[in-house]
Amino acid sequence: MKLKSLLPGICLALAAASTMAQMLDPALLTKPATDAWPTYHGDYSGRRFSTLKQINQSNVKHLTLAWIYRIKVGITPNAIVGGEGPMPEGPPTDPGVSTIKATPLMVNGILYFSTPDNAWAVDARSGRELWHFAWKTKGGVHIGNRGMGMYGSWLFFETPDNYLVSLDARTGKERWHKEIADVKQEYFSTPAPIVVGNHVLVGTGGDSLDVPGFLEAHDAETGAIQWKWWSEPLKKGDPGFETWPDEYAMRHGGGMTWIPGTYDPDLHLYYLGTGNPNPVLTGRSRQGDNLYTCSIVALNVDTGKLAWYFQPSPHDTHDWDAAQTPVLIDAEIDGKPRKLLAQGNRNGYFFVLDRTNGKSLVTAPMIRSMNWSKGIAPNGQPIPDPAKEATIPGVLVSPPTGGATNWPPPSFDPETGMFYVGTSQQFSMFYLTDTDPHPEGWGAAERDAGYLGGDLEAIDIKTGKIVWDHHYPFGGGAVGILTTAGKLLFTGDGAQHLMAFDPANGEILWHAGLADDLSNGPETYLLDDQQYLVVGAGDSLYAFTVEP
Amino acid sequence: MKYSAVSRLIGALVLTGAAVVTGQTSTSESKGPPPKYDPTSVERGKGIFVSACGFCHGSNAKGGEKGPDLLRSVLVLDDENGKAIGPVILRGRPDKGMPRFPFTPLQIADIANFLHSSIKNAIDRDSYKILNIVTGDPKAGEAYFNGQGHCTSCHSVTGDLKGVGAKYEAVTLQDKFLEPNYSWMEGTPPHRVSAISVTVTLPSGESYTGTPVNFDDFNVSLRELDGAYHSFKREKDVPRVEMHNRLQAHLEMLSRYTDADIHNITAYLVTLK
Repeated sequence: MKLKSLLPGICLALAAASTMAQMLDPALLTKPATDAWPTYHGDYSGRRFSTLKQINQSNVKHLTLAWIYRIKVGITPNAIVGGEGPMPEGPPTDPGVSTIKATPLMVNGILYFSTPDNAWAVDARSGRELWHFAWKTKGGVHIGNRGMGMYGSWLFFETPDNYLVSLDARTGKERWHKEIADVKQEYFSTPAPIVVGNHVLVGTGGDSLDVPGFLEAHDAETGAIQWKWWSEPLKKGDPGFETWPDEYAMRHGGGMTWIPGTYDPDLHLYYLGTGNPNPVLTGRSRQGDNLYTCSIVALNVDTGKLAWYFQPSPHDTHDWDAAQTPVLIDAEIDGKPRKLLAQGNRNGYFFVLDRTNGKSLVTAPMIRSMNWSKGIAPNGQPIPDPAKEATIPGVLVSPPTGGATNWPPPSFDPETGMFYVGTSQQFSMFYLTDTDPHPEGWGAAERDAGYLGGDLEAIDIKTGKIVWDHHYPFGGGAVGILTTAGKLLFTGDGAQHLMAFDPANGEILWHAGLADDLSNGPETYLLDDQQYLVVGAGDSLYAFTVEP
Repeated sequence: MKYSAVSRLIGALVLTGAAVVTGQTSTSESKGPPPKYDPTSVERGKGIFVSACGFCHGSNAKGGEKGPDLLRSVLVLDDENGKAIGPVILRGRPDKGMPRFPFTPLQIADIANFLHSSIKNAIDRDSYKILNIVTGDPKAGEAYFNGQGHCTSCHSVTGDLKGVGAKYEAVTLQDKFLEPNYSWMEGTPPHRVSAISVTVTLPSGESYTGTPVNFDDFNVSLRELDGAYHSFKREKDVPRVEMHNRLQAHLEMLSRYTDADIHNITAYLVTLK
C-alpha cells in the first residue's frame, strides 16, 4: 500500500529527469522503422510492411499474449481535462468513443493513441497507463479517431468538435488547441495528423450538410496555419471550376479529408484521397466531374499547391470517397524502376498510378457484384452509368455507400509484390427523396438489399489480377492489415479473430480469439530486442510476442 | 478463391460483424440524440416564414431569386434559439434590400425553430421519406413473377402471398423480396424457423443438422430443433460442413434483376390485395 502511494512520485521524478527520452527522432519517419512506430502508417509510405522477422512462419504458432490494456473513456478520476465544451453529465455512450480505430504510435517504449475526445500514453512493455487526457466536447459526430502525430516531444490529435490539440508527450498536459472547422456546420474531425518536417497536416470530415473540404498545415511549435488547400475550386476561373455548374455548387461541394495521407520525401509530395461530393447521393445540382472530390491528389508539402490529381469516381453519387490509403510502392515494371501509388478504392476498383505525374497504369475490379460502371476510359477512370444514380422508384447498386472497402488500412508486401485489401460484396437500393432542383444533405435514402460476404484479397500490383482470395465463412470485409518480412500477414476476420496468413498463398498459419473484432490496423515493433504485435479490438489493445 | 454460394448466406445472418469496420458515413453508426424542436412551434414558424419570407428565400428556405439559401447559412447554423436570427429579422439588411420585420420574440423563436428543424431534416438521412416507388408495370411484373423470375417455384399468390399488397406498404414489400428476413414463424404450433440450416458430418460419419450459431474458419456450431447445442473445431475442411439456404434464389436474383424488373415486381405485388 505504502509502496503504491510512493510510486507516482517516483515516476514523476524520473520523467522529469529524462525529458529527452520521449522525443521522436524525425529520421525514423522516412525509413521503415523497426524499434518504433512513429506515425499512423508506421512510415510515410502507407505500405504497412515491417522488415522485422523475429516473429515468422516458423514460430508464429508460439505467439503469446504479453498484455491487454482496456481503455476507460471520459472524465475519469485521473484524467487530464481539456476542451471548450461543458462538463459532461455522465460517461460517453457513443460506441465510437470506446472503439480503438487509431494505430498507436510507439516511440521510445511508449504507446500513444486516441479515440474521440480521449488520448492515452501506455507503457509498451507492461501495458500500464502513464496518462489519460479527456476533452470536453462541444459536439460533433463521435464515430472514430485514427490516432496521433508526433514532433519531438509534442503530440497532436483531432477532436470531433474540430480542434487540433497538442499535448506534451511526457506529461499528457495540453500545450495548445486550435479550432480548424465549425462543428455547427456539421464538420467533425477523425484523421490522425501526419507530421512532415514542421508541418502538422490535418484534415476534417462531415458530409451531412454540403460544406467544402480542406487540408491544413499547422506549425508544429505554435499551431499557426502555414497553408490551406481546398478540395474544390473557390471561384470561377480556379483550376477545376469547369467541372461544376456554378460557384454555389462548388462552395457546397464536400470533398472531406478524413483519412491520413502518405508522403514521398524525394518528390516532396503529400498524397491524399479526398471525400465524396455533396449533396451526397444526387448530382442534379452539381453536373460535371466535381473536382477535386473522390480524387487522389498530390500536394507540395511546403506550399499545399496541387501537383497532379487522378479521380477514381468522377461525379460520384454513391458516397464512394477516395479517402482510402494511397500506398506508395517502388517496383520494377517492364524492367524499369518506377515510383508507383496503389489504392483499393471504395468504388470497387483497384488503381495503380505513376506517383510522379498521376498517370494511370492499372485499373481493375476488386469485386464481382459491382454494377455501376460502363467500363474504363483510356485514362484509367471508370465511367459511371448515369442510370445507377438514385431515382424515386429506386436503383439497385453494388457496392452500397459503405463501399467495396473502406478506411481500414491495406498493406503492400514488397517481397510478394502483392497488395492486400479486405473487401465486401453488398447491394443497396438508392431512392431519390429530395426532388428540389437544389437538393441538400444526402438527397436520397439507402436501403440494404443483400450481402454476399467478405474477402481478404491479394492483388498483383502489375496486373491488378487477384492472385488469391480468402472468402470468410462469415463477416470479414474491410479490416486493417499488416505484412512483415517474417512472411506473415496479420488481419482480422469479422468473427473476433486475429489471424496470421501466409502472404504468398493465403494459407492460415495462426489465430487467436479476441473479445471484439479487430478495429484498427495491426502494428509491430522491436522493444528490448523482442518483436511485439499490437492490435486494437473494440475497447482494448492486445500485445503479442514470442518469448525468446 | 471461389465463392461458395451457401457460405455467403451465413454472412447475411451476421452482417453486423462486418459493419463494425466499414463506413465512416455508414448510417448504422449513430450521431447521438438529435435536438428536438417543438412541432407546433415549427408549424407556426413555417406559416410565418412562408408568408413573410418565402417570396425572397423560397417557401422551403432553400433560397429564391432575391434571398439566399438559409439552410446553408452560417449565421443560421450558428444560431441558438433565434439569438442571431432575431436581430437580422428586426433590423433587416437594408444594404441587401431586406426589409425589417417587427415580429414578436415568440414569432422569431418560431421562425428559428422552423429553420433549425428544416436543417435537421436535411441532415438526418435516416429520416428521409421514400416517395412513390410504385411506378412499374404490374402486368410486366406478373409476367416476370410467373416466368423468368421463377417465383412460383416457391410462392403462390393464392397461398403464402395472398393479400400481401394489403398487408405491407410498397417499400416494405420491395424490401421483403430484395432482402427477406432470415427467420420467421411457421407450422403448428407456430415455431421460429431459420432460412439457413447447417449439417456437420464428422469423419466417423456421425452428423448433426440445425440452425447455425457460429461459422468461421476455426469453429462451427449449431442448435438442433430440440434446442441441443453442438460446437466443433474446424481445421481446413474437417469436419465437413454443408449449408442449405431456403432463400438462396433471392440472393442470386440480385445479380440478375434490372431496375425495371424490381419496379415491375413491386407494382405487381401491391395489386395482391
